[in-house]
Amino acid sequence: MKIEGEHLFNGPRQDVWDMIQDPVVLASAVPGMDKLDKVSETEYQGKMNIRIGPVSGAFDGKLTMQNPVPPESTTLLVEGKGAPGFVKGAGNAQFIEQGPEQTVLKYDADLSIGGTLASVGQRMIDSVAKSMMRTAFETLDAALAARLAAKAAGKATEEVEYKQASESDYAKAVAKDAMGGLTSSAEGKLVIYIIPMIVVVIVLAVLLSRCSG
Amino acid sequence: MTESLISKSIKRNEDPRLLTGNSTFIDDIEFPGMLHVAIKRSDYAHGVIKSIDTSEAKKIPGVVAIYTAEDLGDYWKAGPLQVPPPTAIPGAIFHARPLECIAKNKIRFSGEPIAVVVAESRYIAEDALDYIYLDVEMLDYVGDLEKAVEPGSALVHEDLGSNLAADVVQEVGNYEKAAAEADVVIKKRIVTTHVAGGAIENRGFVAQWDDNMKILNCWATTQGPIPMRNSIARYLGLMENQIRMINPSIGGGFGPKIMSSQIDDVIIPWIAMKLKKPIKWFEDRRENFLGTTSERDQVHYAEIALKNDGTILGVKDVFYHNTGAYDPYGMTIPLNTQTHVISNYKVPNYYTEIKMVFTNQMVVTPVRGAGRSHGIFVMERLLDAAAKKLGMDPVELRRKNLLPPEAFPFKTGVTGQDFVENILDSGNYPMALEKTVQALEYDKFKKEIQPKLRAEGKHKGIGIIMFTEGTAVGPYEGAKVMVGVTGKVNVVCAYSNQGQGHYTTLAQICASQLGVKVTDINVVIGDTGQFQWGVGAFASRGITLVGTAVHQASLKVREKALELGSKLLNTPKEELELEDGCIRIADLPEKSISLGELAMKANPTRGTVEEGMEPGLEAAAYYGPPHGATGFGCLGMIIDVDAETCKPKIERLVLTDDCGTPINPMIVDGQLHGGLQMGIGESFYEKLVYDEYGQMVTASYMDYLFPQASDMPAKMEIKHSVTPSPLNPLGVKGIGEAGAICVPACFMQALEDALYENDLDIVESSLNPSMLFHYVQKAKSA
Repeated sequence: MKIEGEHLFNGPRQDVWDMIQDPVVLASAVPGMDKLDKVSETEYQGKMNIRIGPVSGAFDGKLTMQNPVPPESTTLLVEGKGAPGFVKGAGNAQFIEQGPEQTVLKYDADLSIGGTLASVGQRMIDSVAKSMMRTAFETLDAALAARLAAKAAGKATEEVEYKQASESDYAKAVAKDAMGGLTSSAEGKLVIYIIPMIVVVIVLAVLLSRCSG
Repeated sequence: MTESLISKSIKRNEDPRLLTGNSTFIDDIEFPGMLHVAIKRSDYAHGVIKSIDTSEAKKIPGVVAIYTAEDLGDYWKAGPLQVPPPTAIPGAIFHARPLECIAKNKIRFSGEPIAVVVAESRYIAEDALDYIYLDVEMLDYVGDLEKAVEPGSALVHEDLGSNLAADVVQEVGNYEKAAAEADVVIKKRIVTTHVAGGAIENRGFVAQWDDNMKILNCWATTQGPIPMRNSIARYLGLMENQIRMINPSIGGGFGPKIMSSQIDDVIIPWIAMKLKKPIKWFEDRRENFLGTTSERDQVHYAEIALKNDGTILGVKDVFYHNTGAYDPYGMTIPLNTQTHVISNYKVPNYYTEIKMVFTNQMVVTPVRGAGRSHGIFVMERLLDAAAKKLGMDPVELRRKNLLPPEAFPFKTGVTGQDFVENILDSGNYPMALEKTVQALEYDKFKKEIQPKLRAEGKHKGIGIIMFTEGTAVGPYEGAKVMVGVTGKVNVVCAYSNQGQGHYTTLAQICASQLGVKVTDINVVIGDTGQFQWGVGAFASRGITLVGTAVHQASLKVREKALELGSKLLNTPKEELELEDGCIRIADLPEKSISLGELAMKANPTRGTVEEGMEPGLEAAAYYGPPHGATGFGCLGMIIDVDAETCKPKIERLVLTDDCGTPINPMIVDGQLHGGLQMGIGESFYEKLVYDEYGQMVTASYMDYLFPQASDMPAKMEIKHSVTPSPLNPLGVKGIGEAGAICVPACFMQALEDALYENDLDIVESSLNPSMLFHYVQKAKSA
């Protein structure tokens, strides 16, 4: 699976960089992430629960930062394995200053996904990935704002509490993205035409049966 | 005169037990103390195994044992090949890489078995799979047939130095010369699609070792019980008759169940003997998608050379054939493709080359059609393109080039899957074409109906294509017929039945000789304890080979019964008749002896017998044809396409089919209905898809779509013609694959005709609404 995109953070580049070094922030940003430990300067290890359509299960993962150039760019190596399959791949993240108060993150990743995740969860993977990214950025945006506010108030960023996206928010996001995928295909359009048609027919049938009765 | 029951649509003997739920399928077999197996399969498509850690899984309560390739020690060995290499073809290159029942050192496709868990229940066994840890060094995935054979590609089998599994060239005449002399040469790249067998019942295996009797009882869903039994005997060092292999009722085969030397038949009997416990394995749907065999993906670079008047001068077809990670089934599929490209038409010059390619995908073996549909698709697509180019009517172009009835038997000059020259035994192709053309009122549709519809903005298209179905190949099959003391008759063979109706058709053949009721004949299929010889259910060969053997055995029994009856009734044989379950004097019907009584007398228990006497009203016979018998037909359909959503609806479908003498026309129709459903599936619904990393992404029926009842044409009109095969006494040919192989070619022709404004050039055997929509958009922007 290839992922590509960009996100605008409302904060200076150094603050964004510092934030993503913080395992607590990162863990809160990923839906289903149970814990994330920083095992060395460039390595994180964690456990997360993945749910993609009918497939779910625990994942053991490792995240390695390769060639970090603070606060400009880094390459991330991802390796996860668990009962539902595996994920392996590499991503590049670039942090570009856009004025003193804004930072653009440009990212691209190439992930190889295998096992039940791929063979049964495939039709959901794209929308789930999209939702995960969106939920993650929403959480990171909030975290960044909280960190900047704390900093302005003279408090240490460690004191900031981060709120992980709730399961229901995330589920809502997935449903929305999945529907988005449906409308863009020819079959999807057909469904969208047909459902209201069926509703109309049922209503008519009920009305008619009452009239005749 | 004994009444012939051949060509009668008699109700099926097997239906009462099937319809009332009283059949035993493999998963119904239970024994006290039975242990259950689940198979750990690789999530990775290609990699070197660094370690397999089963220690945690072994700790789970209820897990009895776990075996990896390493645990099998010397028992682990690859193969053997199930189909021999095509050495009969001069210059053929074939690299044998037989199946490895369980991966050792290297993983070659996602879904390849890496460990076997034995547990007290299936639940526990499946749970344990999650605690087996496989550490793999991933290698690049090989999946693109053309790139796979370019230098620098990752290698599925490193020792070969290339992913080219085989290269086979066959040539008749001189294509290059023909092309040079042609007025028109059309070249196309044509792709056929990967589809699954998709039997309703998955594969399964039960093994029970009787340690006192030293007998291994096995139940398997195999299409080839004798080869599987022999393979197990060879692996375990047992005599063949120490293994009793039984087919329970089987819910569909479609090809993939022919395979042996897989994890089930190699490992499960071994475990049963080792643990001295009955063992059961039943495949789940995802496993069936990932780890069972499938086929149909080929990439063709095809050419046709013609004169301006439409006369075909030659055809050239160089194609890549995916064999998956191993090639245990030899070259059956691509050889079928080679023979089926040219089996309908006069093609004086033909060059055909197979490049068989190893990939990191599941092993490729026949699925109902086995290469035939691919050849038909290529030829018919070429002809459609030629008709457009020449401004000729597609039916007229076909009419002009069909082999005439007087051409048969016709030697094609191309070696087929049975390693002898493909000889078309009999046929009347123009008749099949005209029957379909007339039924569909082709000319009226083209000249009157379609122009009106088009003026109204409607998109209805018509397609008509020709096909042959090479069936009934050797080597041989056999059967034994025995009259019992009750007067009922046993017909036994070691073939395999997955729903073809043999319990009825074989009974009809036997009853026609012995004068008993079809319902009084008990057909036993696939029990090696009752019959020891046979090959298996593939290539639409059952009714021809087993049927002929039953016919011949029945004739022998008839003769034996008449001899004995003649003695007992003191009447010459010629004055006797076999009818109503007894032998009687034709002019004095009250003077008779029942077959049951005769059977008793045929087994004297005291006294003496004449020298050379063979007891019982029993005889066995074996039959093997010199080459296959070729069925044929013409399929036509009218498709109505919604131009906006690209959703097609088959409005009419007319199939004229000729399978020689039909034993039971109703069962023939059933085979055609099921086949057509499969062909419609291939054309617009079914598709196995691997992603760019070698993960199959269509491993459930959510993603692998079957046509539903509502997707089928309201009426499938089937016309028959009967051109008996001269190769066997009943004149029969096979029918198992005809319906499945002819649809995609016709479907695409009709789609192109329906969406006429866009001048589509469809070069794939499988589409869906999105793909068709893209074709239309691409054509519009061109």
